[in-house]
Amino acid sequence: MVVTSRTVEKPATAEEVARLLHEAAEAGHAVFPVGGGRATQMGDPASRDGIEIRTTALDRVLERSQADMVVSVEAGITLESLQAELGKGGQFLPLDPFNSPGHTIGGLLATGWTGPLRLRFGSPRDFLIGIRVALPDGRLATAGGRVVKNVSGYDLMKLHYGALGTMGVIVAASFKVFPKALHDASVEATHESMDQAWAAAEQALAMPMAPAALELFSTGRVLARFLGSPDATRRMVAELGWSEANGSVWTEHAKSAPSLWARIAAPRHQLRSVLDELQVDQQWWASPGTGIANWAISGSTDEVRSIRALATAAGGSLVLMAGPDDFRHDVGAWGTPPATLHLMRRLRYAFDPNQVINPGRFVV
Amino acid sequence: MGLEAEVINELRRAVGREHVIASSNDLRIFERDASIEGAAPDAVVLPANTAEVSAVIKIAAKHRIPVVPRGAGTGLSGGAVTIRGGIALQVTRMRRILEIDPVAQTALVEPGVVNQELSLAAALHKLFYAPDPSSQKACTIGGNAAENSGGPHCLYYGVTTNHVLGMEVVLADGSVHWVSGDAPDRVGLDLCGVLVGSEGTLCAITKIKVRLLRLPPSVATLLAAFPTIETASQAVSAVIGRGIVPAALEMMDQVTVGAVEAHYHAGYPTDAGAVLLVEVDGIAESTSELMAAIRTVLGENQGYAMREAQTPSERDLLWAGRKGAIGALGRIKPNYYLHDGVVPRSRLPQILSAVGEIGVHYKLPVANVFHAGDGNLHPNILFDLRDTDVWPQVENAGEEMLRAVVELGGALSGEHGIGLEKSAFMPWVYSPDDLDAMWRVKGALDGAGIMNPGKIFPDPEHKRPHLAGRTGLAVEAKWW
Repeated sequence: MVVTSRTVEKPATAEEVARLLHEAAEAGHAVFPVGGGRATQMGDPASRDGIEIRTTALDRVLERSQADMVVSVEAGITLESLQAELGKGGQFLPLDPFNSPGHTIGGLLATGWTGPLRLRFGSPRDFLIGIRVALPDGRLATAGGRVVKNVSGYDLMKLHYGALGTMGVIVAASFKVFPKALHDASVEATHESMDQAWAAAEQALAMPMAPAALELFSTGRVLARFLGSPDATRRMVAELGWSEANGSVWTEHAKSAPSLWARIAAPRHQLRSVLDELQVDQQWWASPGTGIANWAISGSTDEVRSIRALATAAGGSLVLMAGPDDFRHDVGAWGTPPATLHLMRRLRYAFDPNQVINPGRFVV
Repeated sequence: MGLEAEVINELRRAVGREHVIASSNDLRIFERDASIEGAAPDAVVLPANTAEVSAVIKIAAKHRIPVVPRGAGTGLSGGAVTIRGGIALQVTRMRRILEIDPVAQTALVEPGVVNQELSLAAALHKLFYAPDPSSQKACTIGGNAAENSGGPHCLYYGVTTNHVLGMEVVLADGSVHWVSGDAPDRVGLDLCGVLVGSEGTLCAITKIKVRLLRLPPSVATLLAAFPTIETASQAVSAVIGRGIVPAALEMMDQVTVGAVEAHYHAGYPTDAGAVLLVEVDGIAESTSELMAAIRTVLGENQGYAMREAQTPSERDLLWAGRKGAIGALGRIKPNYYLHDGVVPRSRLPQILSAVGEIGVHYKLPVANVFHAGDGNLHPNILFDLRDTDVWPQVENAGEEMLRAVVELGGALSGEHGIGLEKSAFMPWVYSPDDLDAMWRVKGALDGAGIMNPGKIFPDPEHKRPHLAGRTGLAVEAKWW
């Protein structure tokens, strides 16, 4: 059953989120946490109707310490607002997700969406240092802290990152942030054949100073970004010999958001073998250094299934990021569940026994 | 207590007679790790492979016997101590590097592989494994994954959890699972991320897939002296504040430098109040530019006697002094109690002055050697175990230092873990609801509570750790 109408709540405090969640759970309603609404089509269609909790009123910077390179924010702050705040001190969060602008921090943590800079900086999984969540029983639980290195108890940040909110509604988070690079240079090239384009991508990845981002497009275009000291960056740009690109190409690229969209992940040296099987008219872009590709699907559901089978056989996955309900229902958002699904379900049950949050959407 | 003869026989059938140790004299060898408190296991079992680990845990589950996975026993928080008796699951027979894939830049190893062996093997492919605990000559990758270990180079490269791609684990019911793997963005919950750092309380680790990195083409290592520990701390903040994140940024105080220099003759300036060891790596243009910038910042912050390693052997000597620092402290007192806490980096001057005052108050020498760039301090309280009157002072001083860390917004542990040592302090940083969330994970994966019981969570039955079992001498401990 497809959900069409929902009650919308916009709590202004974490305590209010916890209270709303608890009341909904007691009344047997489902809860759908929404941040910027940039990923509402991720996952399977919800299995029942319920209350939408929008986190956008939770938009404060709780603490920013320039010297400690740490920031704590409420979950509903947009990535752009946070970057503006960090930029005042010459710092940034190395996160440049697609379908930008407008993502909230909570949404990015729940969905695990990333962008090209993941090549150099990893994902928020690597720089998330603390998290606070509301649980269906009305409690607020914090994990981690505000220091960059912390092994005090279980790393529950990992439980929430990429869990689509199912382990608790994220209300606040702390991050290790990074200084802006001394020098930032972008270069690009377009090749006639995909063989040449892949070879160019591999050449860039093998540079003695690896690019911070490297994207390859189904059009034969390759786009690289080098961050570092001025001399080092200039040497890489010169050795590669591609034409210089304006830094704004990355802002444009981050707007990419196909209406029918799949994310393909594979061990990075096997990504090409999966993408090579796409029909030549299919549009996609990839980050060959991380093993992630994004496919603007214009093919049939059968093609999606066959590419998913290839990605899965390589140890990877094909996940639908956006698309109409019937398409997602037909193909399935997640594919074959992992072999450890029963363990994941035990964990979910321990936090949300009645599947109050996002019922039916997540694979677990 | 001990285990019933039938249980011992079951264990022998599972792993082979010679791989079960059950005589009380032999068991005493396994009662300790590198922390304060000890307790002998009822049996030590040395499995050869995953199937045997699974068989052992199934026997333990059937009889409800605690199981404590153990690698090299170098842990500093009591993670490998069998505080409730039961089985020490010693994984050191599982020490093969199963695969190094130079194309994928990954390695698949058994849990008993020694950290440094992996980096040496990877170096043949111009690769390295980044997390480098000071105990890397002895500690195992399995232990590193269980404790989410750090090391000097984690400032830039991140800690163990950032480098583990996947693991094969055995849960409390003996079931075997692969969690995560080579591909990014796995579907479902990140079980691997939750299990790394769970200190043996959720699973035994039987295989680990790790990421390897390309060895940097150029490395520059600089030693700089400072008049005081405060000025050195300010220099650390200034470097980071200038937007420079070195590969490593380590500090040693005057007490430590004196001991290290007497032992290693690495050319450390013994008149300095503190020294910093700074390393940057990358391509040559990058390291020279960064090092020039760092020298400027250090100079502006009263740094002097700056000396850059000119050869790889000079660099090794500088690092030998740092990594061997705690062993060298044996020159001052035979025993040490090494603490581990993290504060926001800008609070280093406050915490170090608080640590110094606590030492003065208790009339105990304190040596500081630590990961300054991360704000991860390691005060060593130096004492002589034979002087039993001093034990309560050592314990109280340590607790006060940790309390000061927490009051400055810090964490109980940066890389050593909670284990037995700090479980009682968990309520200082976590509310009952926070701890309840951790309990839910424990309950979901080990409801019967057989995996490493008595660790991490506050245990009302467990009194504060005490020094009575501490028999090791600092001079024996070469690697911290």
